[in-house]
Amino acid sequence: MTVSVTFESVTKILGRSKAVDNLTLDIGGGELFFLLGPSGCGKTTALRSVAGFYNPDEGRILFNGKDQSRVPPHKRNTGMVFQNYALWPHMDVQSNVAYGLKMRRVSEAEKEQRVRHALDIVHMQAYAERMPNQLSGGQQQRVALARALVIEPDVVLLDEPLSNLDAKLRVEMRMQIKDIHGKIGRTMIYVTHDQAEALSMADRIAVMRRGRVVQVGTPHDLYNRPESAFVAQFIGGTNLLRGTLEEAGDLLTVKTQAAVVYAKNGGKGIARGDPVFCSVRPESLRLTAAAESSGGPSAGATNELTAEVQSIMYLGDNEQYALRLADNTIVRAVEYNQPTRKAQVGDRLVLRFDAQAVVVLPQEELGD
Amino acid sequence: MPRLWSCCPRRSWVTNWLRRYDLNLANGAVLLFLWLFFIVFMLYPLGYVFSNAFFTEDGFSLVYMKLMFSSPNNTIILANSVNLGLAVTLFTTVLSLPLALLLVRYNFPGKGLLNGLILIPMVLPPFVGAIGMRQLLARFGSVNLLLLEMGVINQPIDWLGGGSFWGVVILEALHLYPIMYLNLAAALANVDPSLEEAAKNMGANSFKLFTTVTFPLMLPGYFAGAIIVFIWAFTDLGTPLVFEYREVLSVQIFNMVTDLHQNPMGYAFVVAVIVLTLFFFYLSKRILGGGRYEMLGRGHVTSAARPASATMTVIAYAVVLGISALALIPHLGVLLTSVTQRWFLSVLPSEYTLKFYQDVFSHELALLSIKNSLLLSSLSTIIDVILGVTIAYLLARKRVPGRGVLDALAMLPLALPGLVLAFGYVAAFSATPLDARINPVPLLVIAYAVRRLPYMVRAAYAGFQQTSVALEEASINLGASPMKTFIQITMPLIFANLIAGAVLSFSFAMLEVSDSLILASKEQHYPITKAIYALLGRIADGPYIASAMGILGLVLLAGSLFIAGRFFGRRMGELFRA
Repeated sequence: MTVSVTFESVTKILGRSKAVDNLTLDIGGGELFFLLGPSGCGKTTALRSVAGFYNPDEGRILFNGKDQSRVPPHKRNTGMVFQNYALWPHMDVQSNVAYGLKMRRVSEAEKEQRVRHALDIVHMQAYAERMPNQLSGGQQQRVALARALVIEPDVVLLDEPLSNLDAKLRVEMRMQIKDIHGKIGRTMIYVTHDQAEALSMADRIAVMRRGRVVQVGTPHDLYNRPESAFVAQFIGGTNLLRGTLEEAGDLLTVKTQAAVVYAKNGGKGIARGDPVFCSVRPESLRLTAAAESSGGPSAGATNELTAEVQSIMYLGDNEQYALRLADNTIVRAVEYNQPTRKAQVGDRLVLRFDAQAVVVLPQEELGD
Repeated sequence: MPRLWSCCPRRSWVTNWLRRYDLNLANGAVLLFLWLFFIVFMLYPLGYVFSNAFFTEDGFSLVYMKLMFSSPNNTIILANSVNLGLAVTLFTTVLSLPLALLLVRYNFPGKGLLNGLILIPMVLPPFVGAIGMRQLLARFGSVNLLLLEMGVINQPIDWLGGGSFWGVVILEALHLYPIMYLNLAAALANVDPSLEEAAKNMGANSFKLFTTVTFPLMLPGYFAGAIIVFIWAFTDLGTPLVFEYREVLSVQIFNMVTDLHQNPMGYAFVVAVIVLTLFFFYLSKRILGGGRYEMLGRGHVTSAARPASATMTVIAYAVVLGISALALIPHLGVLLTSVTQRWFLSVLPSEYTLKFYQDVFSHELALLSIKNSLLLSSLSTIIDVILGVTIAYLLARKRVPGRGVLDALAMLPLALPGLVLAFGYVAAFSATPLDARINPVPLLVIAYAVRRLPYMVRAAYAGFQQTSVALEEASINLGASPMKTFIQITMPLIFANLIAGAVLSFSFAMLEVSDSLILASKEQHYPITKAIYALLGRIADGPYIASAMGILGLVLLAGSLFIAGRFFGRRMGELFRA
């Protein structure tokens, strides 16, 4: 049976500030759930509260509807993977993994069998007798994972487990952890500040900012239907054009300093005349030569902005353009897999993008 | 920081206040006990001394202070003590700075061995060394006889004349320079090489580099060691006593302990010691030491040592061996004395014997004192381990109210001379069940424990610091209770530190001088150091047995420092600093 985790108006004060502020979340049994946000947003505090290392100052945390407030951390049956792995340097790999079973007084034979199985899952069976300091970072990470899984925890907690690995290994481990989740089917709560990690692995993601959840949804939802400029910017990166809402409805019209922009998304709860951001993803911008201009925005389906190329960054599979609009706003655009360069620094271009690619969001202060 | 026990959800200012701390019944009780301990065995005796120095039967009065400063004799005594402290600090600096520079900055064969050699002089209490020194430097001692024989001089030189001030300085400097060395070496090793590289890159030559970057960065570390050396020399009782150099505060205070009730000047003198100690401590910490360099981020620290050229290697060996030879002269004197059958008007003893070593274990006073010291030191070490681990744990792992004060109290004994503590104990606990004149054992144990507590706290604290909290949390997360976690995870990981701290506490307690001399008044309670002192005063074989005991003490302390060094490695210097 899988275990669901519920945050019920949880507030945790650390020092003088609210590290977690009135957090309410329902994490379904068996879900691979991500807490995503910039550093200091309270995601680790929330995770540690599930483990019981913090007790909420207000609110409750429930496992399958059962209040955990009075359950001490060593009785919660969560398996945590720490950011720095926290392998005990005075024990070898198998003793590290067996520790939780020892605490649960599992019989010798079963213990041995379960340790072997756990090490098998993470492909570390050959290293059972090594000491932690004889392992590479990636290997330590696997042992830490095995140690958390072997006790068959109700909830697996992962605190930025991949942040200490190099880029290549990190991508590899994403797949492995997702595989393991698929095999064992337990609830996993995974904390990270790496949006690519979250997008590529999560069933659902809660984006956190300043102790609060700003949006919960599937990776697809968050990327395509962000509800705030913060989420749009934090997940995937976007261009935010400042303007005021002129027309609401199915086709929204926003007057920005550079031009009028048409949009087909967002605008929920925004009144005419309100200050807004138009969010356009860099990959939605198409760079076209100024001459190709097709005679103004027709029927509001396509937007056009003139811009001057400020700088170009070549990244192999793609090229990133920084472009200056008429009002001096800088926007970014990405061109994939181009055999030849489309433009040079200083060229004047027309940026085209569909109204479907534009999300109108209320203006807010950005940053962490 | 894990808070393992939940608290009530009701809100009030009390819960708001409590929420900032990891307080529960157990923590609170432990904290209360620690406070009580420090109040009863540190603050109360000090307060008692102060109140007796400033209050007469008629209330507050500065009469004793006036009395102390009005007598020219007393001002000379004060000046002598301060001068003694300063001179020893200066000498140790001069001796150890070249050592530190050579050994930290250069790599050469046998460096480890030389490093060990430098530490050896620490292993003999200087007052025992004084016995050997007296033997060698007496009017018809070895040095004079050798010089006479060689025809360098016609008349024996009075080395120890002139009030023996320089004799005391030299002996203490030769004993204490390893402490200075440990601090300077640590300070030097801690200077980020990239900071020096930056200076070189800006065009500084070696001399400029040292004076403008390296030395200023070493200063906090230097003063942390210098103040320990200063306080040690400033309040050392054993060496001036053996040299019969009476015009210093420590000896004066020692002599006044016996008639405290008739002559309250003792209190005034102790207050003078405390005030001066605190003054110099403050000076070294706040004004000279600065100590604000830690916040500079340290990049990747590579070893700043480079291979020494042949010439440099020879220089290094010459300096280290030369200074060590000098420092070992007193030890040699003690060693020779301890195996002397006949030694009269000759450079070396004419007949040798090992019988005094047998005597140590058959002589009634010697044997008794060894048993006493073993008992006292074991008990004080147990107290130190328990208190030290508890305090270090609270400091490193828990948010407790008054954390800063607890830290300061635990470190206070570094600035609190044994002399002052012992004097305070005798005075404050007279006519109580703890009266030292009736049975000094409890107070001796506590005095030893208090004096060495900072070392234990530091050793344990370093252990907790090196042990990531996540290691403990991982254990709790996997189902081990906090207690089980402490035993299975924390203890094994800090064990080396605990051993090192305990070994040091034990061996220093064995050779503690001033508290032993002051607190133990009856022979049946004499610890080793007091027995050595008493034996020295006896004619016949007294000094020989005393020397033999000194050598045994030396072996003990050398062994323990070796063990502690093994466990502690390169960070040994961090223990001996303020």
